[in-house]
Amino acid sequence: MVLTEHIIQRELDVPNIANFDVYLAHHGYEALRIALSQYQPADLVKMVKDAGLRGRGGAGFPTGVKWGFLPAGVYPRYLLCNCDESEPGTFNNHQIIDLNPHQLIEGIIISSYAIEANKAYIYARGEFGAAARTMEHAIAQAYAAGFLGKNILGSGFDLDMYVHRGAGAYICGEETALMDSLEGKIGQPRLKPPFPAVAGLYGKPTIINNVETLANVPPIVRKGVDWYRSHGTEKSPGTKVFSLCGHVRKPGNYELPFGVSLLDLIYDPAYGDGMIADRAVKIVVPGGASAPWLTGDQLNIPLDYESLASAGSMLGSGGVIVLNDTVSAPHVAYKMDEFFKHESCGKCTPCREGTHWLVRVLHRMNHGHAETDDIPVLHDIYRQMEGNCFCLLGESAVMPIKSALKLFPEEFEGLTHMKG
Amino acid sequence: MLQETCAAQIEAILARYDHPRSAVLPLLYLAQDTYGYLTNEAILEVANLLNLPQTDVFEVVSFYTLFYDYPVGKWVLQVCDDVPCCYLGAEEVLAALAQKLGVREDQLTPDGHFLVQRVKCLAACHRAPVVQANLDYIYDVTPERVDELLRSLRERIGSGEVLSVSGATAEDYEYAPAGHVRMIERRLGDIPAPPAHAANAAPVADEPASQVETDVETDRTNGVDHAAGTSG
Repeated sequence: MVLTEHIIQRELDVPNIANFDVYLAHHGYEALRIALSQYQPADLVKMVKDAGLRGRGGAGFPTGVKWGFLPAGVYPRYLLCNCDESEPGTFNNHQIIDLNPHQLIEGIIISSYAIEANKAYIYARGEFGAAARTMEHAIAQAYAAGFLGKNILGSGFDLDMYVHRGAGAYICGEETALMDSLEGKIGQPRLKPPFPAVAGLYGKPTIINNVETLANVPPIVRKGVDWYRSHGTEKSPGTKVFSLCGHVRKPGNYELPFGVSLLDLIYDPAYGDGMIADRAVKIVVPGGASAPWLTGDQLNIPLDYESLASAGSMLGSGGVIVLNDTVSAPHVAYKMDEFFKHESCGKCTPCREGTHWLVRVLHRMNHGHAETDDIPVLHDIYRQMEGNCFCLLGESAVMPIKSALKLFPEEFEGLTHMKG
Repeated sequence: MLQETCAAQIEAILARYDHPRSAVLPLLYLAQDTYGYLTNEAILEVANLLNLPQTDVFEVVSFYTLFYDYPVGKWVLQVCDDVPCCYLGAEEVLAALAQKLGVREDQLTPDGHFLVQRVKCLAACHRAPVVQANLDYIYDVTPERVDELLRSLRERIGSGEVLSVSGATAEDYEYAPAGHVRMIERRLGDIPAPPAHAANAAPVADEPASQVETDVETDRTNGVDHAAGTSG
């Protein structure tokens, strides 16, 4: 099922929509005019709430509800766009910026108006050097057209927008670590509460939303809540840009209404077009490296928050990694936990030590040096991490090893027996 | 001293933030590009510019992977070895780079041109294996394509292009069907002239990014195979 009209990947409907003039000629910044001239900020918060927009960065939290947490009458406020996309298998923010940057910029401006923020920062991962320059160029275009700066479109609303590049740290995608990083510190998560909406950047009320989330705002404002809710499911309205990668013929970003099956995403010729060399699907990691794994016999599952949760996994960032039967499960777990070990910020012991030991044990198992009790040791390590880490990074590191041990125990036993 | 040579840039960076400490990361990038890598003196300069304890800035440098407190040469080649890149040829690309350059990972080539590192996910998994050269993306790299990659990077050294290990001039690249590395053009269009009535409202000329980007856009339309030199 192909979308007849894309909400985010509008470049597929309007060629070259990255171009400012083309964007303007196809309803670009119309939503901003509507928002500023017809709505009070609180109306827009309600609209986004009614639309059922859920945060696309991983948690799926209702965006309008998040906005509603801001304490009344406390200023200044900040809007932060989380563009620290760094989790294996997740790459749609990057492409939204490359191919439809003005929809993001427009979404940030409308959202800033809705939450009454006068400064917005796009926190881009350090590696997004070119994407940062794309956004800076688009921002300069928006300033020149009067969509940014003082008294935007005569509304009396002022907004400045800046791109702030991180410098290579996945943890900075965690919203409180992002704020610390933007404050010029090392990126480590903060204790919550207080939540960012109450005490965020510089201790001020702050809203942090993902790139894809913010890019959904202009279409909602322009075409309305009912239209938006006509896409997707009751609880997951709208579409999701799924990032598909691994051993599929056509990896890429595919915008689909929530609820399309994993099978369709992988095998439909319009999307993944099946597995390379028609090999069997062995492991699917459906929501970025943090998501518990699925196996080849679970492909009928609809891709929405509720269905994946009831299958024991999660939609997460929508980054779908598909691996075929040539990979070894202990090796995939090793590589994924190596990622989390590398990115652990070191603040809490369960994550810092836990990821270190997981990788150390998995390394020796995968290199022919397994110890006889390594399997119980691995179970012991992740159980000590589970529920005890300061933030979700450490909790996420549990998922690959726990999944691998649960789904493919015989492969670990095989490695233990290999020791000569 | 940065304060003398980059005064305008420093001022523009500081103007973005309500608290000067937020300028640590951008100023470290600026120092890194100015000196080639972050020497102790460069780090101290940033600390002094922001009136911060030096340990606070050294801590930041050691925390983030894109700050180099060791010489990195002209091109830092960062190869993603994560899932899925590692199952689609990243290890072979790493081996080919090391073999062609005659170095181990993390070892600078004797001519000071290349440093090869393995890094974690670069968020372009659909074009695996992915490599960054000074944060320029190079998509769909294979061991067979490594020679062409090195040739294009050597050519850019020879062209006198201003290289930035911090990504200040970053662009995205891919392999053309004919096999050569080519820049992926972005098509944002020009920055329009501000409307007359807004002349005193949004002083775009003061936006640090817009001036740099104006130059870049010109380069982009000129160059496909080569990144033209920018002063950004």
